[in-house]
Amino acid sequence: MLRRIKIDWADLPNAQTLETPFPKPERIYPGLDEIDPETFSDFLDEIGLVGMGGSGFPTSEKIRAGLGAHTLVMNGVECEPGITIDQSVLIHESLWVAAGANACAKAIGATRVVLAVKDDADFIIELQKRYGEFDIIPFPNRYPAGAEKLILKKLTGTIPPPGVRPYQLGYLVQNVVSLRAIGRAIIDGIPVVERPLTLAMPSTGFYKNIIVPVGLSIREVLDTYKLPYDPSMHLIADSGLMMGHEVGLEESIEKTTLSILILNRDTAGREERPCIRCGACNTACPLGLHPFSLVDLIKKEKTKSPAFKAQMNECFLCGVCSAVCPSDIPLVNTLAEGKKCL
Amino acid sequence: MSINAPFLRIGIRSSGMASWAMLMLMVPCTIYSILYHSPFIFQLIGYALLGMLAEAVFTLVVKRKRRLLNMGSGLTAALIAASVPPSMPFLPMLFAILIAICMVKLPMVGLPLRFNAAMAGRLFLMMVYPSQVVNWGTPSADVISCATPQELYKWEKTPLEYAEWLFGTIGGKWEDLYLLVPGSPCETFPLLMLLLGILLCWKGISPWRTPAAFLLSFGVTTALFGNAPLYNMLSAATLFSALFIISDPVSTPMSKSGKIACGIIIGVSNAMIRNYTFYTEAIVYAVLIGNLCAPLLDRIAFSAQGWNLNRRV
Repeated sequence: MLRRIKIDWADLPNAQTLETPFPKPERIYPGLDEIDPETFSDFLDEIGLVGMGGSGFPTSEKIRAGLGAHTLVMNGVECEPGITIDQSVLIHESLWVAAGANACAKAIGATRVVLAVKDDADFIIELQKRYGEFDIIPFPNRYPAGAEKLILKKLTGTIPPPGVRPYQLGYLVQNVVSLRAIGRAIIDGIPVVERPLTLAMPSTGFYKNIIVPVGLSIREVLDTYKLPYDPSMHLIADSGLMMGHEVGLEESIEKTTLSILILNRDTAGREERPCIRCGACNTACPLGLHPFSLVDLIKKEKTKSPAFKAQMNECFLCGVCSAVCPSDIPLVNTLAEGKKCL
Repeated sequence: MSINAPFLRIGIRSSGMASWAMLMLMVPCTIYSILYHSPFIFQLIGYALLGMLAEAVFTLVVKRKRRLLNMGSGLTAALIAASVPPSMPFLPMLFAILIAICMVKLPMVGLPLRFNAAMAGRLFLMMVYPSQVVNWGTPSADVISCATPQELYKWEKTPLEYAEWLFGTIGGKWEDLYLLVPGSPCETFPLLMLLLGILLCWKGISPWRTPAAFLLSFGVTTALFGNAPLYNMLSAATLFSALFIISDPVSTPMSKSGKIACGIIIGVSNAMIRNYTFYTEAIVYAVLIGNLCAPLLDRIAFSAQGWNLNRRV
């Protein structure tokens, strides 16, 4: 069961804005006129593209393996609560996204391009003006609907088994920000040197989608907007509320940074209490696994049974079980340790 | 220490919060029963405070972290008080609350096998003080007043017509849903309880699978035994136990399929105990049987899920 998560500070009327406060990069080499499937993945290596939805997997490898897939899925389902950067990129930079999608589809020989977006009527009407040639498929506005596995579940009907990559089923899933980077390189000749991200500070009501050069430190980004950051009161969360982690002020913006959120330390902290066996984690798990039973087995080091291995393989660490736990047990951290036992 | 993801908390934030919600919901049920026996509301609050005091004493003795106003224990004590007649003397109630909280509820925190503490206390009352437990009101010559007139069902084996078969024979029409029903203090207004149960499940405070499976399987089994299923299902005692006792997430299995299986076990055994034995309070035994099965059902559900995933490859 997927849960609807409402984030009131991100529920702005005009959340899909995009700003470029930093100087734009310069053109380095001429763009690409002709898409050749044989040299296209080398071209992606040259511009230094990795999966910009957060995975960081080299896109060139994905394209090489996915040759012959019949469908290209543009993943714009941004289910992380409180982030709207994919939607903003889809709305404001549709030229580059569409160019990147067409180039990708041509390179792998895909005959159908699917745009997977959040189920929001006004937003889909806006998209239909810009992406008339693609199939637009609405996905539920719930976390974690944008995970690759759940997108494929909706498209093919079953959850793909672990170890089976989407291209083996004939689908290639690409994040829209990666496609924007491809389009940028093809049209403007600019490699992956900038990263669109959401910058938000809920306590002051600050919320902006901006384009930041890769490698800039977080301190410089915060100084640009003069945000009142205080290390003793606030913490900086990288890449979303559900799957992110705490980062320091001096760390730099990477290609996989989805967002920078400045949260209050006292509301984010928690204290672990004994499990009351309420089963909230079982009910909330999007794949129907048994998170607490898995954690129990990991702690007892009984990790040899086939049932354990099958479920542990399936888990993609979305963090829903930790978020719903009434006793604040960090289930997803233990599950991440359990991934190493396999 | 770094704070780990997820930074977001959703749903019920603590067990105490859920207990507060449940205890607040017992108040509307109780208000109706004040018409019968007005000091009952103070009695209920007093017993709830007694339950919290029992927990405080227990934590003092075993040197656990002290909690003065823990709502879980208060809810347990209030449930015991609400499921017995108001004429229950103080001393048996004190014993029952002490046994429920200091022997069943608190020492078993964190174990896979948990028992419903309120039902354990109730079992003690039934075993030791049987005459007070069934002392419902003051029956006159031709009126039988109890939670569900099950003994009448049992001994009156008259052939039934279809409508009567569905809705019951002994004055059981739809009016019973919104009329005052004689019974223990919280179960006098079935329609209100049905609405509260739907509210609880919709808000996600209590799981919906166990009560739904319990009510359905109980109705079906009752119909197979030749009694009126709807009348039995919508009787106040059944709804009260479905809402406040069977929906207890702690003592029922964690897994979704396990919850359904546990509800079915409780429903079927409840109907069978009512039909085949002479015990009047079947739900206590049925709930304890269901609690006993909970770890096994969880383990079966875990293995079945793994088998399911492996089969797909």
